[in-house]
Amino acid sequence: MIRFKNVQVGYTQVLLEVEDLALDSGRLYALIGRNGSGKSTLLKSVIGQLPLLGGHLDIGKHSIDQLIKDHVQRAREIAYVASMFNGIEALTLYQYVALGRSPYLGALGRLQPADQNKITEVIARLDLTRLASKPTPELSDGERQLGSLARAIVQDTPLMVLDEPASFLDYFNRELLLDQLQSWIQADSRRTAIFSSHDIDLCLEKQIPLLILSNKKLVFLEKASKEKVMELLRQS
Amino acid sequence: MKAAKNYLLISLISLIILASLHLLVFQRQDHMSSALLFWEFQVPRLLSAILAGAGLSLSGLLMQNIFQNPMAGPYVLGVNSGASLFIALVILGGGPILLSQLSLVSAAMLGAFLAAGLMFYISTKVSSLQSLLVIGLMFASFTGAIESVLQTLAAPEQVKQLFIWNMGSLQQLSAAQAPWLSTLVCVGILGSLLMVKALNALVIGEFQAKQLGIQVQWVRFFVLLLTALLAGSITAYCGPIAFVGLAVPNLARALLKTQDHLPLILFSVIVGALFLVVVDVLILLLDPWMSLPVNVLTAVLGAPYVAYLMLKRQ
Repeated sequence: MIRFKNVQVGYTQVLLEVEDLALDSGRLYALIGRNGSGKSTLLKSVIGQLPLLGGHLDIGKHSIDQLIKDHVQRAREIAYVASMFNGIEALTLYQYVALGRSPYLGALGRLQPADQNKITEVIARLDLTRLASKPTPELSDGERQLGSLARAIVQDTPLMVLDEPASFLDYFNRELLLDQLQSWIQADSRRTAIFSSHDIDLCLEKQIPLLILSNKKLVFLEKASKEKVMELLRQS
Repeated sequence: MKAAKNYLLISLISLIILASLHLLVFQRQDHMSSALLFWEFQVPRLLSAILAGAGLSLSGLLMQNIFQNPMAGPYVLGVNSGASLFIALVILGGGPILLSQLSLVSAAMLGAFLAAGLMFYISTKVSSLQSLLVIGLMFASFTGAIESVLQTLAAPEQVKQLFIWNMGSLQQLSAAQAPWLSTLVCVGILGSLLMVKALNALVIGEFQAKQLGIQVQWVRFFVLLLTALLAGSITAYCGPIAFVGLAVPNLARALLKTQDHLPLILFSVIVGALFLVVVDVLILLLDPWMSLPVNVLTAVLGAPYVAYLMLKRQ
């Protein structure tokens, strides 16, 4: 459960406020907002990279302030996927996914057999096994993005935050990514995921509950019509 | 992982063979056999080749990691220049008290650390690889110019001392100093090994490394400290040696095809040592005809490889 209480988000000025909102475990939420409305800024605050300007934010049983101080605990609570990963020379897909185990490893970064099993299993579940030993620059955008999802999954956190994870993907890869995200949530009722998106149609089609940034506020819509969503977005 | 083990084994065996060859060539050339000469000249020279090669390529690997730039290295980014400048200040401008060996080494390390910190600060402001390399080059020219100014003001004897130091030499390390440099390089290697997890995570960027539980600021400071320790102390004892720190870590990644820094650190250390031992064997073999400074040969062997890497990146 993610709980917002009078949360103020922004760098120096308050960009948006979330007065009282609780996001239940076991669900996938889509964050919708226009360009510059503060989607990324809000997500940065949720993952603890940007301190709140005010209010309280609880991630599970920890406050975000605690998690900002305790790096390792934060990495065990929150996984993050960016909209794009360009690939790194000599970094194979397997090694990239394996980085998700970092919060559980010693200083030498050696993977234990249990870590290796987990990585192999997640790679197989996302149908990436044949690409595992390929260097990441040689993969397609879609394959790399699934790799980022795999990395976040092996991180084994109750919360996953994704910042426009599908913006560089084609229609089929978008759907694949969303389906994989939904099945990750369904596998364990303690899990929550928030992703930002501009793809309102796909979110409505998949009946994903929406968090809409409208007029510097966050509006929660359990079931929405496209008209309602557009009306809220116009207000911002 | 298996391929990495094979490469490590092969490079380690080559290093042992070349190190033995180094001792043999040295002996044949100078017709020296007494135990005293062996311990006073041969061993320190071999040790300084091994330590300088290992330390410089390790500091190159570390810098390439935190700058997220495969073309970074202690020489191109001005860490050596910082050390050189401070050395020049000590040799040319310092009082007699400052001229003790320890102060030369600590001055070089301080200069290296300041230069590394400055370049890192600049790298957070400019993201492009080209700009950063040009700034490193300008920094080197700038420190070089200051050295020239100092030289015009100094006594001829001091200028000569600095000139010889600037050529780079593996013969300056005395038997008494060898344990110091060995300790510093070992500290550098052990310190790096303790950061393998953080270095691996930093490969995908600071933001992501933070999300993986790495205390990025602390790691960055520690890496700069180790780089300055390695590049600074080696530069102090052996002069500014170019290309080792840039070329060897790139070779390591290309051959091992990995971003796991445990094999990368070990391979860079061994192959860096191997590289300078080979260079010094060549210097010894060519000695009857011409006496080459280290820097000339590392450039002859290293520069084409680095140019090739740049071309391949296009």
